[in-house]
Amino acid sequence: MDTMALRRAVALTAPRGALRCAAILAVACAAACASTPPTAQITAAQQAIEEAERAQAAQHASAELSQARSKLAAANTAVNGRDMDEALRYAEEARVDAELASARTAAVKAKAANDEIRASTRALVEELDRNTGGTR
Amino acid sequence: MNGTTRIPWRAQLRAATIAGCGAALLAACAQTPETPNEVAATRAELSQLQADAALAPLVAQELTEAEAAVQLAEQDADAALTAHRVYLAQREIEIARAVGEARLAEQERQALVDEREQARLQARTREAESARMEADAARMAAASAQQQAVQLQQEIAALHAQETERGLVLTLGDVLFETGRAELKPGAVLDLDRLVDFLDKYPQRTALVEGHTDSVGGEDYNRHLSQSRADAVRAYLVRQGVPASRITASGMGESAPVASNNTEAGRQQNRRVEIVISEHGSASSR
Repeated sequence: MDTMALRRAVALTAPRGALRCAAILAVACAAACASTPPTAQITAAQQAIEEAERAQAAQHASAELSQARSKLAAANTAVNGRDMDEALRYAEEARVDAELASARTAAVKAKAANDEIRASTRALVEELDRNTGGTR
Repeated sequence: MNGTTRIPWRAQLRAATIAGCGAALLAACAQTPETPNEVAATRAELSQLQADAALAPLVAQELTEAEAAVQLAEQDADAALTAHRVYLAQREIEIARAVGEARLAEQERQALVDEREQARLQARTREAESARMEADAARMAAASAQQQAVQLQQEIAALHAQETERGLVLTLGDVLFETGRAELKPGAVLDLDRLVDFLDKYPQRTALVEGHTDSVGGEDYNRHLSQSRADAVRAYLVRQGVPASRITASGMGESAPVASNNTEAGRQQNRRVEIVISEHGSASSR
């Protein structure tokens, strides 16, 4: 009866400006009061971490990847401690940490590839200049 | 609905809240978030990225997600939930930025590759050009050496010189001098003038002028006479402009006959001036 009664109570008692607050309260309550583990979020975090690992984030964005791993571990610990609210937050944060690790890895690699091309162009130009200077 | 039914519902609300969610969730209804500065900073960060003309167009989808995350963080909630949402929103913004940077780098790549190809092509063109120039130069050098060799042969032929193991030998018969005299006959210098031209043309070459006589007369006399004649030839060449240092004069007397002194024909052959031209130092020497 909790949620239904809550909504009706709020709708009837609160002024219109407070409706939004009530809705949030309801959602937040549903989450906070959850008694089942946030399996979907933990799985999502797990997959995001694996994806980052495949992209060699350990090499290019190790800080973010470490954060993701320890938050995933914390989420699992919270599940064991029946604190599902905390588990959910840790899982969500672990996912975005891992996604950031992947994104930063991609950026680092893309920039490194460009730098490599620039370096070889520079080497060609320098060689060209040297040859031009030397032949006459 | 009337006033009498309100009170129980309100009581139910209070009961449900306390029993189900705990005191912390009451704070969710507070009108101001507990970390307004961080929320505002997150919004500012997002605005900055949205205004980035280079990155923003590349990450429309990511910015939409970041915008939603920031809006969620801006909603009223308790401090812990707001902090969590701020964290997620900040991460979404950082993700959008990183994705944008990666895409920008990928976008720039084609231009960089083109630039490198341009440089490579230029280097290859230059290489081919210099190889062609080198080949041309080598061909020209070979042609010129060939031409010089031909020319030398022609000049040696014009000089009436023989190629021997001692070098080029120009033999001037007994027409240069009157018998017993060491003064050059005026009409006898034609061969010497050709030698002057030759030595002018090949300034590396040196000449050894050897005077020879037949066996008529005393040996000392003949040696002396042949030395005087060689000196006379040398003096003539020097007068014509050949540096004295390039010419050596030597009186051989009767010591090196080329024919028998027992016949008049043999003695005539033995009376001669030989000019040995060194071959060293010349480009076409063998």
